[in-house]
Amino acid sequence: MIGVFRFRTGRQDADLSLAQLSLGGSAPHVPVVQEELMSHHIPEVVIWCLAIALTAVSVLLARQRTITTGVRRRVDQLEDSLKARDEELAHLVGVRLPAVSDAVSQDVPLPGPLDDRLAGTAFAQNLQSVMDLFTQAVDKAQSRADQSAKAALKASMRALQGLAHEQQLAISEMQDRHDNPDVLRDLLEIDHANSQFGRRAQAIAVLCGSWPGRQRVASQLTDVVRGATSRIRDYRRVRVHSHADIAVVSRAVEPVVLAVAELLDNAARHSQPNTTVEVSIQPVHNGACVVIDDAGVGMDEQEIQQATAMLTGRRVVDVSRLGDPPQFGHPVIGVLAARYGFSVSVDTRSPFGGVRAVLFLPSALLTQLDIDGPGTTPLAARGGRGRDASDRPRRPSRPRAAGRHAERTHAPQAPQAPQAPHVPEPPARPAGAPAPAAAGDTGPRFPGTGEAPGTPGAPGFPDAPVVPDFPRVPEVPDFPRVPEVLGFPDTPAASSPPEAPGGTDAPGGPHVIGSTAGGLPKRRRRQPGGGQRSRPPAPAPTEMPKERTAEETARRMGAFARGTRTGRTGSHQLPPLPPPGDGPQGPPPPVPPSGHGPGHGPGPRQGPPPPPGSVPPPGRRPGHAPVEDEGNPYA
Amino acid sequence: MTPPAPGRDRGLVRPYVVTDGRSHPTRNTFDLVTLVMAHDDRPLGGLSPEKRALMELCLGGALSVAEIAGHLMLPVSVTKVLLGDLVDSGHLSTRAPIPSAQLPEAQILQEVLDGLRARL
Repeated sequence: MIGVFRFRTGRQDADLSLAQLSLGGSAPHVPVVQEELMSHHIPEVVIWCLAIALTAVSVLLARQRTITTGVRRRVDQLEDSLKARDEELAHLVGVRLPAVSDAVSQDVPLPGPLDDRLAGTAFAQNLQSVMDLFTQAVDKAQSRADQSAKAALKASMRALQGLAHEQQLAISEMQDRHDNPDVLRDLLEIDHANSQFGRRAQAIAVLCGSWPGRQRVASQLTDVVRGATSRIRDYRRVRVHSHADIAVVSRAVEPVVLAVAELLDNAARHSQPNTTVEVSIQPVHNGACVVIDDAGVGMDEQEIQQATAMLTGRRVVDVSRLGDPPQFGHPVIGVLAARYGFSVSVDTRSPFGGVRAVLFLPSALLTQLDIDGPGTTPLAARGGRGRDASDRPRRPSRPRAAGRHAERTHAPQAPQAPQAPHVPEPPARPAGAPAPAAAGDTGPRFPGTGEAPGTPGAPGFPDAPVVPDFPRVPEVPDFPRVPEVLGFPDTPAASSPPEAPGGTDAPGGPHVIGSTAGGLPKRRRRQPGGGQRSRPPAPAPTEMPKERTAEETARRMGAFARGTRTGRTGSHQLPPLPPPGDGPQGPPPPVPPSGHGPGHGPGPRQGPPPPPGSVPPPGRRPGHAPVEDEGNPYA
Repeated sequence: MTPPAPGRDRGLVRPYVVTDGRSHPTRNTFDLVTLVMAHDDRPLGGLSPEKRALMELCLGGALSVAEIAGHLMLPVSVTKVLLGDLVDSGHLSTRAPIPSAQLPEAQILQEVLDGLRARL
């Protein structure tokens, strides 16, 4: 009953009346009871109501709190996410995109996204696509800029190379022309500066993808190293020790010169000016090594790693990313080493405390120099063989000592005969076969065509247009047809002169050891051996009078004087001949100057004829003329 | 222009390397026609390649300075520097050029003639 009351407050009145009916027995007591009952129930109801309300409110509050907490958490999450995205965007703009553009010039790893929570979201994917687009754009712009920069640099450096080469030729001509040591000193300085200038231009051109310049003939490795020495500033500090007889093939000469020059330049630049740079050339099993030791500061581990990466070509360095100041040396060497197949390492420590750089040349780049190449006639003439010995095939194992002479038997550049090599060329050229002559004589031909057919990839080929007036066409020694041309086998004009000096010079044997390219004979003055070493002809005049006694001389002079007198007196009767050695006669009659000719005529018919062996040699005759002429005033 | 000699490219090793930067010979006694003779008792070790070539050239007999320069393909002035060094080190000796003809002095002949005329 009470429970019903508590929970059904809406029907409180009806229930109260029912309670009154069931509880109340008598009518008069009903109001009192009702009143008591009412006063008794009201607080309870109120309490119940309050309790109910309180419960409801608390439930509602709890529920509200739950909802609020969830919403707050969600808001926090969203705020975090938004913040992360903001930061990610700021990271993209402030760090990642600049890193992409910086990575062009420095090889650094690209930073990734900042917040891992964003991974896999659409936002992150969009960011990545922005990065990719940006990277592509940067790459494209960079490659375009690189290409144009490379093209411009390459063209200008090739022009500079050509100018340096022309200037070197001009300097060489001046060195030949001037014999003054002061002039030579200035020319040497200019030459040195010009060589360094040419090397710089060459290095940049190589980094730009050009070939290393002119094609040279196969050269001794010692000369290659010394050629590299001549291109650095401190060439006087370089000491080259070599006894190896190794030559570098023609296509590799210039690259090796350039690489060694860069190594030497590094060595000299990073060491004290009072130290030396020691270079030694060592033949090894698979080739040869050029070892360069400096006494400089050396390199630390990181520098060695960087240098090794560049030298081995693992890291290709572009010409526009050389750092500031640009470091050319190792990138150039790396490019050349990768292109030509030699290798360079700098990771050893020199015994002098600096760096030991080792340039290894494989056997494919080495050769044995054949001295008897085209353009010279070999030493065959000295050994009694004919000039046509130059037509025989090359012999790589020719002894070096004998070859050195032939190597020098080329056109002399002596200033007293500067035109000598040019003169015989026009008549000599048409004598040879036309096709090889064209191969040997066309000025701006491609140097690479002179290589042997089996030689891979003539590298000098694209460079021929660099110096169009390439004046010195390299003659590659193993070009098979050239010896026939330059040896002039069927040119009598070229082959006859050796006989002429050989016949007059000495009877001991042929002295012509070669001929210039123009066909002039190259002569060796005298052969070793005592018999042919000619003495100066000074003793000859003193020996001749010894054969003649004083009386004889007096007789002869007297006969001469008498003959002169007879001729001048015309038809006068001859005086009786006094015996030779007679006493002094009177002064001779005046002798007109025209009596020179008859003076010799009457000689033989003078008194005692001279013995047959004492006829004065014809060479003595000029000695008489001044005597006769000067004698006239005294007559 | 002459084609380069095989085995020796003139443009490769520059003259200042050959002379080690010097341009003045240690002695000023060389002429274009000065004859140079080598002494074969001197060791060739330690000489630069050009000096060694010069010695090998001259060991065959006397050569003039101009001829040596032509064979070595070096400028004459550079050759003189090398020759000066080699003469200093005793590898070479020089001889003045031989006169083409040596005639007795005119004065002696005149005196002889006068004396003979005085006697005859």
